[in-house]
Amino acid sequence: MISYFLRRLLGSIPLLLGILTLIFFIINIAPGDPTARYFNPNISPEVIAQMRTNLGLDQPIHIRYFKWLGSFAQGDFGYSFGQLRPISEILPTVLWNTLQLMIVAVVMIFILGMLIGIVQAVRQYSVVDNVLTFFALFFYSMPSFWLALMLILIFSLKASQWGWPIQFPASQMTSVGYEFFSTGERITDRFMHMILPALALGVGGAAGIARYMRGSMLEVIHQDYIRTARAKGLSERIVIFKHALRNALIPIVTLLGLYLPILLSGSVLVETIFAWPGMGRLIVDAIFQRDYPLVMATSFIAAGLVVVGNLVADVLYAVVDPRIRTE
Amino acid sequence: MDIRRALVVAVATGMLAACGGGDVRGTARGDLPEEDRYGGTAVIGSISDIPDINPLTSTETLAAEMQQYVLFLPVIHYDENLQPVPALARSWEVNADTTQLTLHLRDDVFWHDGVKTTAYDLAYAYEKARDPATAFPNTAFWTHYGKGTAVDSFTFVVEMQPHAEFMDPWRTFPAVPRHILGDTPSAQLRQHPFSTRAPVGNGPFRFVNRVDGQSWTFEANPDFPEELGGRPYLDRLVYRSIPESSTLLTELLTGRIDFFTALNNDQAALVESNPNTRLINYMDRSFVVIGWNQRRAPFDDIRVRRALTHGINRQGIVDAVLYGYGVLANSTVPPFFWQFDDEAGSDMTYDPEKALALFAEAGYTRGPDGMLRNAQGQPFRFTLNTNQGNQVRADIATIVQADLRRIGVDMQIQILEWGTLLDRINTRARDFDAVLIGWRTEFRIDDSDLFLCDKIDEPFQWIGHCDPGLDALINELPLITSREASKPKWVEYQRRVAAEQPYTFVYFQERLHGVQERLRNVHSDARGDWVGIDRWYVNDGPRSTGGAGE
Repeated sequence: MISYFLRRLLGSIPLLLGILTLIFFIINIAPGDPTARYFNPNISPEVIAQMRTNLGLDQPIHIRYFKWLGSFAQGDFGYSFGQLRPISEILPTVLWNTLQLMIVAVVMIFILGMLIGIVQAVRQYSVVDNVLTFFALFFYSMPSFWLALMLILIFSLKASQWGWPIQFPASQMTSVGYEFFSTGERITDRFMHMILPALALGVGGAAGIARYMRGSMLEVIHQDYIRTARAKGLSERIVIFKHALRNALIPIVTLLGLYLPILLSGSVLVETIFAWPGMGRLIVDAIFQRDYPLVMATSFIAAGLVVVGNLVADVLYAVVDPRIRTE
Repeated sequence: MDIRRALVVAVATGMLAACGGGDVRGTARGDLPEEDRYGGTAVIGSISDIPDINPLTSTETLAAEMQQYVLFLPVIHYDENLQPVPALARSWEVNADTTQLTLHLRDDVFWHDGVKTTAYDLAYAYEKARDPATAFPNTAFWTHYGKGTAVDSFTFVVEMQPHAEFMDPWRTFPAVPRHILGDTPSAQLRQHPFSTRAPVGNGPFRFVNRVDGQSWTFEANPDFPEELGGRPYLDRLVYRSIPESSTLLTELLTGRIDFFTALNNDQAALVESNPNTRLINYMDRSFVVIGWNQRRAPFDDIRVRRALTHGINRQGIVDAVLYGYGVLANSTVPPFFWQFDDEAGSDMTYDPEKALALFAEAGYTRGPDGMLRNAQGQPFRFTLNTNQGNQVRADIATIVQADLRRIGVDMQIQILEWGTLLDRINTRARDFDAVLIGWRTEFRIDDSDLFLCDKIDEPFQWIGHCDPGLDALINELPLITSREASKPKWVEYQRRVAAEQPYTFVYFQERLHGVQERLRNVHSDARGDWVGIDRWYVNDGPRSTGGAGE
């Protein structure tokens, strides 16, 4: 198992390197310039030229590539042109902010999605099944940015205008004056700020998982061994949750790995709308500002997440399916 | 919610003074007496993040606002009439032939770490700002300025050529703490923690903290000189960056933001109709133009450019896109400047007939399909480029397209990502026909980058306009120190620009802000969004009723 794990990790190194090299040349060749944001009538062309020199952009692209590769290999991500700080200082906070959001979203996606899917499968073709199917398809087909705006409209703006007892903040991770709050207030505050973005990020995914779960569960429920279990006189609860669910989970678990990159790309819009200072927003800002070092660093993290996500899926696959483990 | 509670706690100390009687003019929404104004937190929101606050290196407009009114004390301020008034400089004088400016600085201004601000700090800032390696964004400030020296701790003398509006640069230029930045190489100033994480200013507010991509927090500086207003009313000032403007609007309407800097025009009505918010609007120096690339026919023909302007219903654009918050522009001079001439371009009305007549003169006639064609039978067809992510510009482009279609011009719209657009219009190839873009006039107008013939290969000479007569004016005007003497020439300049129509000047737009009713004494104007921020105060229900303490 461990050697398998290591082999997979080693195998991903050339893959990552290839991705990063490709991105390096694409972003550097793309029209635009990191100094373009300094564009302003008061800034003379000489100043722009000086800035380019200060940023090291006056060197040819292949030199810059090898320079970047050299420092990257030593674990040095370099300096962000846009934020004017070492990238190693920026990334941890931003990554953690996004992970918080993604973890909440993933937990919500799987728990909610699986529960709905199970209910639908067990009560196939009932009214409950049809209603849930309708809503699942509705949320599944809804773009996350639209859902985000609707959530803000209803649970923040309208909730305030209509005087609802619970109103959610529409932006950022904490309230003003957070540093003066007690621990209890802080937890509540963080939680309140987290709910809307996590919902916007996760609801579509949960609806998708519900569909998968329903299909997978239905397939299993009609197997002979389920009929045998029922015939043995086992309670329905044990039949469903112990015998059926475990087998139905196998295809679902592989989705976990696939959801990480989907969530990361979803977070681009959601984080912008909710002013959530995470990876998604950072990547977009970096690309628009042509902040080359930051683009490279965030791409590396994103690519790394995808690789890790797939690895996690494979491991989980082995956990739920003993046949894999023995091979 | 929790913010409210925090605010009530924060102002509780200020309330004791209020109970001691005094002038109770204040109503729930009216003005509070002086002694009741202290305390509270105000939250400013904007869509932009401010990554760099160093006055020597920052480039964002709002960073400049923060430097001028919040964290630093510039050498001078402007009053409502745009006249220089003392700030860090207690007074100043020029010698008889206007070649030397002497600034006498205050001796009671301290950096927030306790060190006194001196002329040596100013001399240091001046020297760094003139060093090309710093890449100080406003180097145009110093075009006519020379060597500067600190004569003693509070006197700074600087050489100059006589030139117009020579005090203007000092409006935005503060000293910087030499004892903190002293040894930093100029090229490294931008990366110094002072720029991003630990700025030390000498203004009415001092830095508390910054959360990346989220907020800047400041608190009142109790040691700010009494003569300049003393301690600001607010205890705390928080700047929050929220990139999506509809989210920001929600936060304003629900009371989580007190001041929405630079509202979109389509949001103004909502802010006005909301009982807890008000709209602040005033004429600004920003304008929108369509640049005609004169390196390409037929835009090199003045008749064609004039015809295009006549063919565009600019007032319609102001009404539809700006919701009326703007006026027609005819040159780079904003209507509230003393240089302004309202005759210039007054003949450039929306007049499709006149447009067609001019096109006919230039050799374009309408075919049976209604489209304009030249003698060779080629249709009048071109592409207008503008940047992505700006709905106002996309809307303008659409209106222009429809207006021009009516007179037989086939205009295509191509919206490009900002970096890509700049690449097209700034680089030598100038691969575009027409571009819709915005610009901002400085108080000291200098259009040399836009129009001068010898800058034709420089980035901002997008349109390739060259008129020696205009050049003469552009070169001469900045050197005339007397307003009376230069006014006729300014009039000539504006009329010449309007006649040549190098650009179709679409409009000057008003700047709009959304403000909570609880935030009082806000008087933003063309000087700046946050001008007078040290006199802003919050008027919360419980405080204004006098005895409602908790």
